[in-house]
Amino acid sequence: MKISRTVTITIDGKEYIAKEGQKLLWTALENGVYIPHLCGIEEEEKPAAGCRLCFVEIDGFLNPVTACTQKVKEGMVVRTRSKRVDKLVGTAFELLMSNHRLGCARCGANGRCELQKIAKERGLKLKTSRLRSLVPEVPVDESPDKFTYDQTRCVLCGRCVWVDHHKAKIGAIGLVRRGMSRKMATFGETAMADSSCTQCGMCVEACPVGALTFKEK
Amino acid sequence: MSNPAVEKMYRELRDKAVSKAEGMNEKPYVMVGTATCGRAAGAMKILETFRDELAGHQVDAELLEVGCLGHCYAEPMVAVYKPGHPFLCYGNVDEGIASRLVSDFLVGDDPCFEFAMAAFEPNDVFPTFADYPRGVYEQKIILADCGLINPEDIDHYIARDGYLALAKVLDMDPGAVVEEIKESRLRGRGGAGFPAGKKWEICLKAEEPVKYVICNADEGDPGAFMDRALLESNPHQLIEGLAIAAYAVGASQGYIYVRAEYPLAIKRLHTALDQARDKGLIGESVLGSDFKFDIQIFQGSGAFVCGEETALISSIEGNPGIPGHRPPFPAVSGLRGKPTIINNVKTLSYVPHVIRNGAAWFRGIGTPNSPGTAVFALAGKVVNTGLVEVPMGTSLRTLVYDVGNGIKEEKAFKAVQIGGPSGGCLPESALDLEIDFDSLQHAGAMMGSGGLVVLDEEDCMVEIARFFLEFTQKESCGKCTFCRLGTKQMLEILTDITKGRGKPEALELLWDLAEDIKTGSLCALGKTAPNPVLSTLRFFRGEYEAHINEGCCPSLMCNELISYRIVPEKCSKLCDACIASCPVEAVYTRPDMLKAVDLEKCVKCNNCLVTCKPLYDAVMKVTPPETGEGGDEN
Amino acid sequence: MELLEGELEQIQTEVGFILRKYEPGREQLLPILQEVQGKIGYLPKEAMKMVAEAINIPEVDVYSVGTFYNQFRLNPPGKNQIKVCMGTACHLTGGHIIMDSFERRLEIDEGETTGDREFSLERVACVGCCALAPVVLVNEEVEARVRPTRVDGILLGLGKAMPVTSKHQKEEGDTIE
Repeated sequence: MKISRTVTITIDGKEYIAKEGQKLLWTALENGVYIPHLCGIEEEEKPAAGCRLCFVEIDGFLNPVTACTQKVKEGMVVRTRSKRVDKLVGTAFELLMSNHRLGCARCGANGRCELQKIAKERGLKLKTSRLRSLVPEVPVDESPDKFTYDQTRCVLCGRCVWVDHHKAKIGAIGLVRRGMSRKMATFGETAMADSSCTQCGMCVEACPVGALTFKEK
Repeated sequence: MSNPAVEKMYRELRDKAVSKAEGMNEKPYVMVGTATCGRAAGAMKILETFRDELAGHQVDAELLEVGCLGHCYAEPMVAVYKPGHPFLCYGNVDEGIASRLVSDFLVGDDPCFEFAMAAFEPNDVFPTFADYPRGVYEQKIILADCGLINPEDIDHYIARDGYLALAKVLDMDPGAVVEEIKESRLRGRGGAGFPAGKKWEICLKAEEPVKYVICNADEGDPGAFMDRALLESNPHQLIEGLAIAAYAVGASQGYIYVRAEYPLAIKRLHTALDQARDKGLIGESVLGSDFKFDIQIFQGSGAFVCGEETALISSIEGNPGIPGHRPPFPAVSGLRGKPTIINNVKTLSYVPHVIRNGAAWFRGIGTPNSPGTAVFALAGKVVNTGLVEVPMGTSLRTLVYDVGNGIKEEKAFKAVQIGGPSGGCLPESALDLEIDFDSLQHAGAMMGSGGLVVLDEEDCMVEIARFFLEFTQKESCGKCTFCRLGTKQMLEILTDITKGRGKPEALELLWDLAEDIKTGSLCALGKTAPNPVLSTLRFFRGEYEAHINEGCCPSLMCNELISYRIVPEKCSKLCDACIASCPVEAVYTRPDMLKAVDLEKCVKCNNCLVTCKPLYDAVMKVTPPETGEGGDEN
Repeated sequence: MELLEGELEQIQTEVGFILRKYEPGREQLLPILQEVQGKIGYLPKEAMKMVAEAINIPEVDVYSVGTFYNQFRLNPPGKNQIKVCMGTACHLTGGHIIMDSFERRLEIDEGETTGDREFSLERVACVGCCALAPVVLVNEEVEARVRPTRVDGILLGLGKAMPVTSKHQKEEGDTIE
């Protein structure tokens, strides 16, 4: 058995014992310290670091850094909140929301949505007033028997694609195109039911928002 | 650990190349610059003309294709050598001049001075390049041989001490090579200016049996072409640099990652690699030593973001070019997880010179913190466009007015855009800035890849900022929130402003978003994307305000904020050129025979203005735009 | 897009031939796709499926790569390819006006192919001929210092029937290679 050494780090003035080499985001979460995050996957050695929500201040770093990419080290001193962190997280969240179709009441993820959680934890508004809406006009893919895919609610965290490739080992979905056109899709951007998807449902469970939701029985 | 075998093998190669070069000087030869820029200007036709004329006159002369001399404004360019005459360069050569050069100069004995630009070497009859202001301020290191050697003949390079530096390092300890590069303070020419030696040292110290070196030739800046010119004009310089880097860090496999949009560069690289392999300069045993090294060409598929190291690696590995978080840096864990050096074409091209002439020589050029020269692609509203190489520390004023010979059509200078989509715009007040990596960054621009675009009074700074942001926005990989959505939000705001729909509070939001994107983005593409906007907001805020508050574009560039008018006093009445030029029948003849523009129909294609300009100059643009029947004043 | 009769077999033969030249492995993906496009002119779905199978990766991963890079095309190009350079220097000297002119004349937007598959219109970031701006690539041949008035001339030279001046010469048609 691999013996992992432990280190002591400080988060927001409190000391915690952590597994050496673990990424800070997971140490914090395990210890009940909330840091906003969408794209993080603990098992993945190379974090995507794409959602840009898990910013923290670490002593010795000039600028806020993403907690999902920083390995804990002995004596690390972390602050999860600061003026700069709040501004960055606020803007990143606002940007994501400008591209996310609201209407929580009619969303299958209502109540368990990570976006709602981040808004609540950080006192952020779900509806942005200073940015314009960049929500695409795309119909919901209702083709599978068990679930639906609403691209207009997708935050491009890539968690569904990761479980599809690494856990379910199907390879039915991927992140295709690039820039503003980047989206989760099947080969040829067909309806889910017309792809090699087996409807195992693992991607739906991995979705932190309401993009992939189970159909109600 | 001196290796006499290496020395002997190199000397044999060089002696052969030198005697071939000397043999070449015994009879006339003609060099035609057939790099992409020359071809665009018609160089292939000129090459054909020379071939036909030489055959027709039965002249015993060699006809060679060479690369780019950097004087793009004078393409097509040829160089003609005839024993007993100065070696002369001719610009803007057409078929007539080409046949005259054969009949009058090579058959006759008249060097046609009336068509000559300059001589290559000092002589008693004709001035050299060094006699012009540009020649005074230029100092060529990596561009020195470009356009003067045949890029498809390795002997041309070897005859000019090519591969001497490689032979020299094979006698050195790899650590000593790294030390020499460190000593030289050579900084990476790909953008940010990271010290090359430091990068090499990290890689050298990484304890891994397999390492890689990669040349980043994925030039994607929309206004820069020096990497292409170097690849097309002197590929061996780069290959030698890459081989030296490989020896220094302990790599046996190298890659050249080159844009697929550069087919000629790829072709010439393939030829160069084959020849280097044939001569034993790369391969199983480099120059007979036990250093094994080979190079593979990898064609990039067109993604600006692949200039970013981690994205480039991802692309070679068969994935979309999406950047990853650094650290780990590629020098520690790069291609296939192995320590990897990635250097730009220019950086590697300096390496043989540094090794050959020593670190102290290199440090003696340029500024203390940015030694050496800077290569710029001079473009835009400057008279002498082209590739220039000047010592670091040269002022912008010298670059624009002496090297570039001033602004076209005697218009007023407005700004220079340096560094492309990652760089910024500097105003007239910055003209005396002595440029190097640090001074530019401090001023709010960036060396970037070396694009230098000169802007005049007719260039709208808001539109320039919008153009660059549109570029980065299109090229964003889309992974990270700030770059994907942040630049899109900024672009929407800028587009509104250029269309006259901007709101007064937009500027504050623009600035605020720019700051957050700079800090929050994952990779350098996103982190530098706001620079063009920030620098124009800082130096040209008045132009933004004119668009927003007055609905005008002071530079008359933003189509939505201008309209066309035909000035009755200038219109000839009898000429119909403007009418013929209009694609949508918007220009018409009024009952009094004057021409006018129907603003409802006008698509603002500028055809009538361009057509009329040399004739009567009667068409003008006005801002804010007029509405309704415009020119119909009666 | 539906394939024509015989097209599928032709794609299978071509791609099969290309695939035999490569060692299987993910790193071959870009070079293979480049060669497929070089041969067929675009990346048909059937070809991407064959490539995925040959190098043993999910089909959607091939699609991700095929849709990420500017170079790859998912639909057949026009017989004549017009690429307008949108680099900095070209933009400043009116590249966008040239693009507008082509769009107007061909009645398509950038990135599209005409209904008769005769012309496709694209933008390229920078072809590196900044000193000769604005630049248009017509079937990979560089046209330098293009003025809006030159647009009609280029299209006429390629055999495009013009609405106003319809007396063009048909035999001027193909200038490819």
